[in-house]
Amino acid sequence: LRVVDVSIMAAGPWVGALLGQLGAEVIKIEPPAGDGTRWVEPLQRGMGTNYMCLNLNKKGVVLDLKSATDRQVALDLAATADVFIQNFRGGVIDRLGLGYAALCAANPRIVYCSVSGFGESGPLAKEACADFIMQAYSAFARLNGRPGDELEAFRFTGFIDLTTSVVATEGVLAALLERESTGVGQKLEVSMLQAALEMQYTRVAEMLATATAPRPLGSQSAGLMPDGAYATLDGEVFVTAHDNAQWSAFCAAIERPELAHDARFATNARRVENRAALDALVVPVIRARPMIWWMRAFERHGVPCALAQHFEALRYNAQVRDNGMVADVDTGDWGRLVVGGLPWKFAATPGAIEPSPRPGADTEAVLADLTHRQAARARSA
Amino acid sequence: MSAQERAVLQDVHVVEIASGVAGPMAACRLGDLGATVTKVESGEGDWTRGAPPFMRDGTSAAYFALNRGKRGVRIGDDDAAGRALVRRLVERADVVVTDRNTASLAAMGLAGVDDDICAWHPELVVVQISDVGRAGPQAGKPVSEVGAQAMAGYTRYVGTLGEPSIRLGADVAGCSTAIFATQAVLAALLARRANRRGQRVDLSLLNSLLSMKTVHLAAQSDPDAYEGPRVGGAYDPPERGWKTADAPITFAFGGAVGAEGRPGWTQFVEAIGLSRLLADPRFDKTGRLTTGLGPKARELKAEYEQEFVRHSAKEIVARVREFGGFASAYLTHDDLFREPQFEALDIVRQVDDDVRALAFPVKMSATRPVIRGSAPSLGQHTREIAREIGLAE
Repeated sequence: LRVVDVSIMAAGPWVGALLGQLGAEVIKIEPPAGDGTRWVEPLQRGMGTNYMCLNLNKKGVVLDLKSATDRQVALDLAATADVFIQNFRGGVIDRLGLGYAALCAANPRIVYCSVSGFGESGPLAKEACADFIMQAYSAFARLNGRPGDELEAFRFTGFIDLTTSVVATEGVLAALLERESTGVGQKLEVSMLQAALEMQYTRVAEMLATATAPRPLGSQSAGLMPDGAYATLDGEVFVTAHDNAQWSAFCAAIERPELAHDARFATNARRVENRAALDALVVPVIRARPMIWWMRAFERHGVPCALAQHFEALRYNAQVRDNGMVADVDTGDWGRLVVGGLPWKFAATPGAIEPSPRPGADTEAVLADLTHRQAARARSA
Repeated sequence: MSAQERAVLQDVHVVEIASGVAGPMAACRLGDLGATVTKVESGEGDWTRGAPPFMRDGTSAAYFALNRGKRGVRIGDDDAAGRALVRRLVERADVVVTDRNTASLAAMGLAGVDDDICAWHPELVVVQISDVGRAGPQAGKPVSEVGAQAMAGYTRYVGTLGEPSIRLGADVAGCSTAIFATQAVLAALLARRANRRGQRVDLSLLNSLLSMKTVHLAAQSDPDAYEGPRVGGAYDPPERGWKTADAPITFAFGGAVGAEGRPGWTQFVEAIGLSRLLADPRFDKTGRLTTGLGPKARELKAEYEQEFVRHSAKEIVARVREFGGFASAYLTHDDLFREPQFEALDIVRQVDDDVRALAFPVKMSATRPVIRGSAPSLGQHTREIAREIGLAE
């Protein structure tokens, strides 16, 4: 499988990286001025860490799409590809001659993945977007905060960008499978807006079905009780009971087994209704002992529980390491980098994580290969 | 029916043995792509059945959205007929999506189904979802949505340091795992076409959140300086945008970060009545440092707000866009659903008389996902399916 990726920044590029991790050959085409993520701070030995982590598993080619010659090269490369990824602002890609109609004419099998902020129709179709803009527009931020707060943004930029990438990858794989039976590709339109809503799937569903707007509840949720962070003697423990069996186990773990028979807490729905009463009973109990005590007690009773971890703990955590949830990549010039691990572990066809290329490092080789392919095609024609 | 109208997963049978968000949501989206999905439950059934808010008929709204379009069977404890039914279903299936562990699957009569390749059904694709991974010292440990957010360090990027933690209100662990699980099924089905071999694919809530954290993991690896806007967010105060006369907004000139800057900032500040910022040495002349995620944005927020509070969010957003910046008000869900843009994208579909659901998240020119209504009650189709596959009650 061959992917040509002319996207820049985050939401587009990570689609190519994910397809690369699934085993595709991915050719990143970058302008001579460079993908802006090269300069997005922080830098590591002078290179943007965003550039390095979002362009894993790619070959680096530099082409100037403003020049007719290079545009033709890009078009020729796309003619050899299974997937094309672009995220130029509305209409630009057509002016560059790399729109779906042009590519489809050259290569009807192409799966054309077009990534935008607000979609390709409607009054905002041409507006640029960014992660924090879409957190605001999609109401994602309205779900976060203390009880009574109106909103709070996730100070973890890039999450909606990467959400857009994973949704796009889902679409690309569906289109590739479809192509197996139809023999032709298609155009996919992926917007940050629809992706941000997909990430809010359950909250949006609740709103659509009950016309009740979701609101921030601190660490708790509208759907379960108990479910959240509880202060202990020395920190917080995050604990949840999903059903009556886990509720009984929770009561046993906090040594208040009689609560399991309290009519106010007989079902999850009742526990949610009586949230304050339940917390009034549980909070003082949990506060009296340290968090490790509670971890052992909840674990022993099979109650879902966790402690918060920061980067330095996660980075060397045995559970994280043993499952390959993060990966070290040796980028050569820019040193070692920790990146997210493969999101899926295929037992028979494992993927791999390869460092991002130096910009343009593969231009010559990719163009030479293109010449060979064209010559071979001319001979067989 | 023409080739184009044939659903992608038309002949694909999915058996889902899962609860909560991740597995059911993945199976639901596979159903939207045309797969036949059978949900297997035991005991009280999927816990989302009991999760408020509830629809008028008493069905959990989340349960409905996660399980619409499926048929459901229930097997009891110590239920030989139920085990035979599930075994037969899986033997005929192409895909199993499950959050059960090896022992639990074996107890259902499915021993070996989660081997690398299932010996008794080598073409089967098995997506197995755990909370914190199949291997490692904590394998099998149950962790919830909020627990996974905490373990993955997500709760550090909302709320205030030293105060009680808060979560992301979206089910980011469940939904991201659902999306990765859907990818895993599609990719494994593609791979299967080459050699008629299925395989197991492992996913976990924690793994998904860490994969989605790659930008932050990379940023903290060994940075040259900690001055970038993307590092240190854990210690920043809550971010709630710029106040206006009504809803708060967020806006940026100069791209999100890093880019050269958009020229419109000077015209924008003039148009909005903030010309004095042009002479203020704390403001660069592109807006790059003082808007969006710029390093001085927080400290200088009040300077903008002095004028912004005289205007509506709508007005300021329009002005920013007019001069080439990007902006949005912090919309509520109600606001969003009324936006012309929301209408234009056809984002929600009517699936039942009075229920709407989110459309498939990618607009595809040839593939036509079908958003199906009606979620099964517990064990609703147990008999019907037993008859269909030739098992007597």
